[in-house]
Amino acid sequence: MDTLLTADLAANSPNFRRRSSTYVDAIHDLPEKESMAPAQLYSTESGRLFHSGRIVIATVGLPARGKTHISVALARYLRWLGVKTHIFHLGDYRRSYVGQQGDVPEDYFHVNATTPTVLMRNKILKKCREDILHFLDAENGQIAIYDAVNPLSSGRRALAKEFEKHNVQTLFIESHCTDERIIEENVRSVKISSPDYIGWKPEDAVQDYLKRINARIPHYESMEENELHYVKMLNAGQRVVSNNCAFGYLSQRIVFYLLNLHIKSRQIYFCRAGTTKDEDSYKADASLSTEGEDYASKMTETLISHRESERQNLIAHGAPETTALKPLTIWTSTRRRTVETSAYFEGKGYRVRQRSQMSQLNPGVCEKMSEKKIRQNFPEEVAKHEQDPYHHRYPRAESYHDLAVRLEPIILELERENNDLLIIAHESVLRVLYGYLMACSAGDIPSLQFPRDEVIEIIPASYNNSAKRIHIPDLPQKLIPGSPEDIKMPVPPSGATSPFSGIGTPAGTQTPEAGAEGSGGLPIRKAAVTSNPKT
Amino acid sequence: MPAADDLNPETVPNGPKENPEQYKPELSRSPPGDFMRPAVRTRGKSSSKTNGVGVQVEDTRICVVMVGLPARGKSLIAQKVVRYLGWLSISAKCFNVGSYRRTNTPQPNASFFDTSNKEGERLRRAAAEAAVTDMVKWFKSPGNLIAILDATNSTKDRRRWIKDRCDSEGIETLFVESKCDEEDLIMSNIIEVKTTSPDYSGQDPEAAAKDFRERIRMYERVYETLDEDEADLTYCKIINVGEQVIINRIQDYLQSRVVYYLMNLHIKPRSIWISRHGESMFNVTGQIGGDANLSPRGQRYAEELPRLVRNSAGDTPLTVWTSTLKRTAQTAHHLPYEKLSWKALDELDSGVCDGLTYAEIEQRYPSDFAARDADKYNYRYLGGESYRDVVIRLEPIIMELERSENILIVTHQAVLRCIYAYFMGSSQEQSPWMEVPLHTLIRLTPRAYKTEEERMYADVPAVSTWRGKGSKAAHADTPESSRRGSPAMLGQVKEGL
Repeated sequence: MDTLLTADLAANSPNFRRRSSTYVDAIHDLPEKESMAPAQLYSTESGRLFHSGRIVIATVGLPARGKTHISVALARYLRWLGVKTHIFHLGDYRRSYVGQQGDVPEDYFHVNATTPTVLMRNKILKKCREDILHFLDAENGQIAIYDAVNPLSSGRRALAKEFEKHNVQTLFIESHCTDERIIEENVRSVKISSPDYIGWKPEDAVQDYLKRINARIPHYESMEENELHYVKMLNAGQRVVSNNCAFGYLSQRIVFYLLNLHIKSRQIYFCRAGTTKDEDSYKADASLSTEGEDYASKMTETLISHRESERQNLIAHGAPETTALKPLTIWTSTRRRTVETSAYFEGKGYRVRQRSQMSQLNPGVCEKMSEKKIRQNFPEEVAKHEQDPYHHRYPRAESYHDLAVRLEPIILELERENNDLLIIAHESVLRVLYGYLMACSAGDIPSLQFPRDEVIEIIPASYNNSAKRIHIPDLPQKLIPGSPEDIKMPVPPSGATSPFSGIGTPAGTQTPEAGAEGSGGLPIRKAAVTSNPKT
Repeated sequence: MPAADDLNPETVPNGPKENPEQYKPELSRSPPGDFMRPAVRTRGKSSSKTNGVGVQVEDTRICVVMVGLPARGKSLIAQKVVRYLGWLSISAKCFNVGSYRRTNTPQPNASFFDTSNKEGERLRRAAAEAAVTDMVKWFKSPGNLIAILDATNSTKDRRRWIKDRCDSEGIETLFVESKCDEEDLIMSNIIEVKTTSPDYSGQDPEAAAKDFRERIRMYERVYETLDEDEADLTYCKIINVGEQVIINRIQDYLQSRVVYYLMNLHIKPRSIWISRHGESMFNVTGQIGGDANLSPRGQRYAEELPRLVRNSAGDTPLTVWTSTLKRTAQTAHHLPYEKLSWKALDELDSGVCDGLTYAEIEQRYPSDFAARDADKYNYRYLGGESYRDVVIRLEPIIMELERSENILIVTHQAVLRCIYAYFMGSSQEQSPWMEVPLHTLIRLTPRAYKTEEERMYADVPAVSTWRGKGSKAAHADTPESSRRGSPAMLGQVKEGL
């Protein structure tokens, strides 16, 4: 059961921590060195923020209720705020214990399990809890997310008591579904893609999976313990009950985030706006040039045919002929070029929304200046910028940090969105949003590359997100490089070698699509392909 | 208008802001798959400034509908939400049904609220209709985003009527119920109401309290809590001051933001004491920023402070919050309470101007000096912060402050102004210019109708660090005149229940 990708990932590493050498999404990595997170407002010596103490967030819920998804999403948001967070998936520990091929005994989840099973269970739990406490005590961790089923009231009380002894608060997050359809959809999207169900009809596979859960975990008690701190999410966030949660700033902030989270999966696409008539001016807010129009039309065609081929692909894998993809919604900034780039979609009846917060980084005094001129006029500022491109502001300009803080409503709305989403925005905005979804470090964000001949697709999965690129064919070469209207330094033009090494993703990890085009690795950080050995 | 423009201080010195026509595509067709919202609303040009928690072009308009028996802190909550949103540059207004009702029946007795009193019922219904009509009118002007309908709204019928009315205007509704059985809390609210509500002004307090209890009883007879029948509504039900909160069907970010704030509020009576640090060596030399030690006079203030606090707070246990800079820690040194230091309480970062005097700034950065005077709230020091930036970083402080009971904050001039503006609802034009002399302790007490302010002065002289618009005033000893009362910025007083 629970045959996610997690087993292979976990099995090889004793401490269950891994660099994302094989994964684009760095959410399961611990940052190598202490550095400010993208939206972090300040730092402290202890590494802990808001005087909120240390918290264990323990999930509660049967399989296929989105626990892992909630854990990962929450970790993503907390890290974004600069709170040192790490996820501990109990399933990883279980699978690591029994080995890749093994399985736990039938009665593993039963209340009255046999003695050897209970011993084994306790051993696994103990190892996981030791790691959690080590993270909180010895590694300056502030929040440990303990992703487990925690089905019984007595077990939850004991857990809270044990952490209390170490002066750690426990906040339970339960995902409870009374709506069968939500469970079925979740099972269908994440669970039955496992090898066990190849060749099964989807409905049969769902039924079988649910039957297996019920047999494996026959006892389950929803949270009613008034003395515990808990948040209960009903039917994927339709209703949220927060019980006794006012014990700290972070606990309330977590509830706030959960109010915006749903557990359904959808794709997010990123693309650039077309080129404009007055390319170098930020203030002019020019209309698209002829090439820009051409780009907009080709981008639209590419994305629509890509989605159609995905649909056909689903049908080829046994989905009924009538299968429809989720509707696609388009967000643009209020800048004219992004709005006009979306015009072809609008013409085809897609829904387009303008979001004022998605305006690009304000270049301040650097507007209309070439790199040479900026170096000439502001040598000191350039030196500072090179030191910390994420936090530095040119005179009158915004830093990436300012942009990240300003984008918070967008990030939460992004989590809320049920439809597939295309975001047409300036490269600086795409960098920050991509940085959030892929857990990039603040240092990496300013140098992410979004060439214009690619639509980036982000596929959220419960365990981690992955990105791939969709090539837009037949574009003139001069259209492709990075933002001419951007602050030019020290960000090299697209295709140049990144000044950062060791942050890329190694070859051999690309999706079939990207591979077919013969380009190596992850679309975005392509410069550093060779310097990162696979671990 | 893009947020980036708002944050760009360069637009300031060049006279009026450029405001190029923003391109808007035609959104007349309703595309397929448009099930997220009832209708696409394209609104007039929004001029609202945004600060990261701000608004979007297709703004959602929300009517927050209070629900609950009298004396459950509804008015306090409503006022706080308005001030909080205003502080974040989101335009909000409270519509109080009681004040509409009072135009016809200024001081009714409890029998007016008896549901079997047909005339009373009719007048109360008319008041509700008048309030909702005004609210709908208010929403017509662009930029107005959140209205709060402050009334008991105690029956399902009434709530359904409000929802239908708002639906037909394309306004979202968010019902907020405060349900509370704690006798102490209800009592303290009754005492407050009978002494401050216009319904009882000039009446014998005992008789007023008796009548008010009777009024509550009238409401209790018909009161219906939000329950499964109303599962289709968007609501937030706060039980016993946040012990449990049930949040149903939140529709968008802005709603979640309001709920987040509500969850941090408590309605128990309490006060907040705020002081600037004692006079520092930089204050004496007229330099800004830095991390200087206290001057000998500042040290005397630190020694004096425990007595000043004790005179005001008595034996109430306090928690002291300081910034991470030396001068606040030194000021708090002698206070016999638990202390926490917050990075977020550090003084506004003056960037390249750190350590300069105002005269030096004017000399070295003349255009900046003028730009700052022109729009002090949005002006960001080169390499430093603006008041708007400070407000963003104070968010955790405000939330924590709302969750806590009695707190004493020792901080800096600009930060104090921002916190003060939050409690008193002062405007962005005024608050950066507010005068808070050194060696002064301010006590703020949030009440249902306003925040009360009291200032206490230590008998220790200090320089004045206040600089009027256009002046480069060197720091001089505080003139006696500024050590009286508050400079004309009282909390917004609202009319009655």
